[in-house]
Parts: sequence; C-alpha cells; structure tokens
Amino acid sequence: MPLKINNVSKTFRDKKIGDNVVIRGFSTEINEGEFVTLLGPSGCGKTTLLTMVGGFQSVDSGSIALDDKEIEGPSVERGYVFQNYALFPWMTVGRNITYSLRMQGMPKDQQEARLKELLEMAHLTGHEGKFPIQLSGGMQQRVAVLRALASRPRILLLDEPLGAVDFQMREILQNELASLVEKAGTTVMMVTHDVSEAVFLSDRVLVMQSGGGKLMDDVKIDLPRPRDRSSDQFKTYTNGLTDLLRKAFKYDKER
Amino acid sequence: MGWVYFIILLAVLFTVWHFAAIAIDRDIVLPNFAATMRQFFRNWTDARVMNGLFITLSRVVRGFGIAVAIGLPLGILMGSAKIVRDALSPFMNSIRQVPIMAWIPLALVWFGMGDGPSLFIIAISTVFPILLNTISAVMGVDPNHINAAKSMGASLPKIILTVILPSALPNFLIGARLGLGLAWMMVMCAEFVATNEGFGFLILNSQQGFQFPTLYSLVIMSGVVGYGMDLIMRLIERLLTSWRFKNAAENK
Ligand SMILES: Nc1ncnc2c1ncn2[C@@H]1O[C@H](COP(=O)(O)OP(=O)(O)OP(=O)(O)O)[C@@H](O)[C@H]1O
Ligand SMILES: [Mg+2]
Repeated sequence: MPLKINNVSKTFRDKKIGDNVVIRGFSTEINEGEFVTLLGPSGCGKTTLLTMVGGFQSVDSGSIALDDKEIEGPSVERGYVFQNYALFPWMTVGRNITYSLRMQGMPKDQQEARLKELLEMAHLTGHEGKFPIQLSGGMQQRVAVLRALASRPRILLLDEPLGAVDFQMREILQNELASLVEKAGTTVMMVTHDVSEAVFLSDRVLVMQSGGGKLMDDVKIDLPRPRDRSSDQFKTYTNGLTDLLRKAFKYDKER
Repeated sequence: MGWVYFIILLAVLFTVWHFAAIAIDRDIVLPNFAATMRQFFRNWTDARVMNGLFITLSRVVRGFGIAVAIGLPLGILMGSAKIVRDALSPFMNSIRQVPIMAWIPLALVWFGMGDGPSLFIIAISTVFPILLNTISAVMGVDPNHINAAKSMGASLPKIILTVILPSALPNFLIGARLGLGLAWMMVMCAEFVATNEGFGFLILNSQQGFQFPTLYSLVIMSGVVGYGMDLIMRLIERLLTSWRFKNAAENK
C-alpha cells in the first residue's frame, strides 16, 4: 500500500477573517500503480491536500504515510509537478531534468544515460540545450513531468498539469501524459477540475466538496485504455461526475 | 537609428561649444573647444593621467569587491530570514540616509590619508544599492522553485547556490550597476580631500593650477570612463543571465 491518507484536517488561521477549515477529516488509500484524481470546485482545498502529500505543508491532525513511513517533509520519493510547472528558467531543459540526479550525486555518465532515456520517452530529444523560455507551454509541461520522474519517485504528484493549456492542446497533452505515465509505471495523484480529463486519465476519481474539503465520493473508472472520449461509457462517466460536482458546489452554497 | 541622432546631437553640442567659447573668450568659464579636445586625447597617453586613472580604478574595484562581499551574503540572509530583516532594517535604513559626503571627515579620522577613505566611501556608497536589491530579489524568489528543489533532494546550501542565487542574480546585478555608478562619482569626492594621488586628485590639481582645458578634459574623461564601466556591467549582466535574453534573441 504506497499512500495512506488518514483522517487529515487542515485549517488556515487568520485573526482578521477568522479560521478557514480547508480540509476536514479526509481519508483515502492509493494503491501501487494506481492513477487517482482529486476533482472538485475551485478553492475546495485540492492544492492544499496535494502540498501536504508533497510535504511542503504540515497536517493539523491525522496522518499521511507513504509505504508506512509518515511524511515529514519533501522527498525525492514524491515527484511534484506544480500548477505553473516551476521550471528553473536559468537552467537548460537538460539541467532541469537532471537536477534531482545531481542533488543525489549520481555519476555524470549515468545522468547522461537517464536524461537520454527520459527525453526519448517524451519525444523531447534535441531540446535539452534550450531554456524553458524557448519552449511551448506543452513542452514545458512535459519537461516538468520528466524532471519529477527523473529520480524514479514512488509517487508522482500533479497539480493541474494542464491548467494553463487551451482546449484543443489539452486533449493532445492528456494523451501524452497518459502514455508518459504508463511508460514510467508510477503511481499518480493528480488534481484537476476538468471532468473529462479526470475520466480520461484516472483509475479512480475522488470528488471533493468545497467548503470544508471533505471527500464526497470515490468513483472507480472501469474503462479499457487507451480511452475513447466519444464512447457512450465515457460520456456516462463524465455526466455522472458532472452531476456530482454540481452537488459538491450546491453543498457549498447551502452551508 | 538612434545612434545617428546621437552623432548629430554631439556635433551640434560641439559646434555650440566652439562658437560660444570664442564669443565668451574666457577659459575659466568655457575653455577653447579645440584645445580641450586636444588635451582630452592627449590624456589617454599621458603617463600621469593614466597612472591617476589606474589608481582610482583599482580603488573602485577593491571598494566594490568589499561592498559585494558584505552586501550579497547579508542581503541573502536578510531576504530569507524575517527575524534578521526586522532586526537589521532600522540600522540599514538610517545608515544609508547619511549623506556620502558626511562620511568623508569621519573616514579621514578613521583611516588617515591614502587609500583607506576612498575605499570606505566607495564601499559605503555601493553596499546599499546592492543590499537593498539583493533583499528584494531574495524575497521575490518563487516559493515553488524552493519547494521544487526540496522535493528533488536539494540541501539548504544547494538551494542557496542553485536556486536563490541564480534567481536573485538579475536584481543583484541591477544593484551592483547602480552601486558602481555611485562609487565612481563618490570616489572623486574622497580623492579631493583624502589623498594626493588618483583621478580626483588630478582634477582638483588642474583646477588649482588654472589649467582649464585640462580640467574640462578630465571631467569629460571621467564621464567616458564611467560610461565604459556601465557598459562592462551590462555586458556582464548579459553574460551571467543569458537565459533571460534567449527568447528576445530568437524573435529578432
Ligand atoms: N497558505 C495559505 N494561507 C491561507 N489560506 C490558504 C493558503 N493556501 C490556501 N488557502 C485557502 O485554502 C482554500 C483552498 O485553497 P486551495 O489552493 O487548496 O484550493 P484548490 O482546490 O487547489 O483551488 P483551485 O482549483 O482554484 O486551484 C482557499 O480558500 C484558499 O484561500
Ligand atoms: Mg489548486
């Protein structure tokens, strides 16, 4: 069992505007090799939950454990792709991707070999000498994923990896992300508020309620891969999840 | 195209100078243009002038080095730790309000005649632009860049070296450029009173000797040298932060 989130709560305290309970008693387990998506309205606490798994913020109560080891801070075991990628603009693509390998003190030739392998995986061979500013948004996204994958993390954490991309590009990049993750064979926890993206990529979708960030529903997506967005079953799933999201949002209004 | 207008403006300026000097006919107000220019070009091969220039430049380089050695680490510390910032800011913000000229008598008392006061004046006028710009640069480092580095196993020294320094570098260099400009101006003041060699001393000397074409030519020369130093700083900026100019270069 790689990731166990057990009864986690998080409150942001502010003397002026009062306490903001962002996550309340959230529990789930993510299995080896699973692709799990957090789906929920904007502001429901998805990023907050993911950053706690990343180890950038601490939990107020409850616990998060990876391979039965409690998470205490950031680690190479958990590769993180940020909402805005957070690539280092002063490093070339190649040096961005090999950053974690250098921090681990991997020998140069092994770094080179791993870089080559990763670039091939994402069809980025030949771009390693460029700077992030010289790449398209879609290429930057792939570089960010490769950088997080370089040290072979146990789990990959993706915060709206396609948030900044337009609609047509989104589908293309979803295909690429799906194949990239499949090749890497890692466990993934992703955040999105795009229903179709969640159905296309995930084994399981966790729907979160806004205002108090509780888990509202846990939906298993039982469809063969690669998935066909125009199939009836796909639409059944997206319709079902859209209804759930609507309810998640209504719940927020009634509070 | 801009440089064509620059040449035209320069020619206009020189022409006005030439005829104005003839009309006024008093060296002390405006010396003869041709004589000043002749002196200006002679300066670059004059051993005494070049020696003075060299002494002053070496002071600037050393004083600037001291300012960087203090301003950069202190700026990183103050930029990253709020406690240090809150504790030191009042000192910084009051000391930097002291007019540079007011330091000169004090520097004379502390260091006596010679290099000391000049070095001190250069360092104190350069350190604040460097410090202030480094602090704001470090405070502006994207927290997700630091988080990303942490999640890739970077230790604190590595984070400083590979994330904080490079992202603060552009602003640090802006501070360094401002500081160097100030240093070049202020070192002259120090050299008027605290030394008997260097470029500032030569300027004072020519004034006291009523050599007005020389005085004017030295003043022009100090502007040209300052401009050259700024150019070198801009070049260094382009070299060290070349990644910032990649996109622009491609779109040309
Ligand atoms: N560091 C923080 N300090 C105080 N409040 C915060 C902090 N981070 C997030 N919040 C609050 O927590 C709530 C959830 O934010 P979060 O970023 O987790 O939402 P999200 O689900 O990722 O939203 P989006 O889909 O818009 O990215 C918001 O109300 C936000 O204002
Ligand atoms: Mg978010």
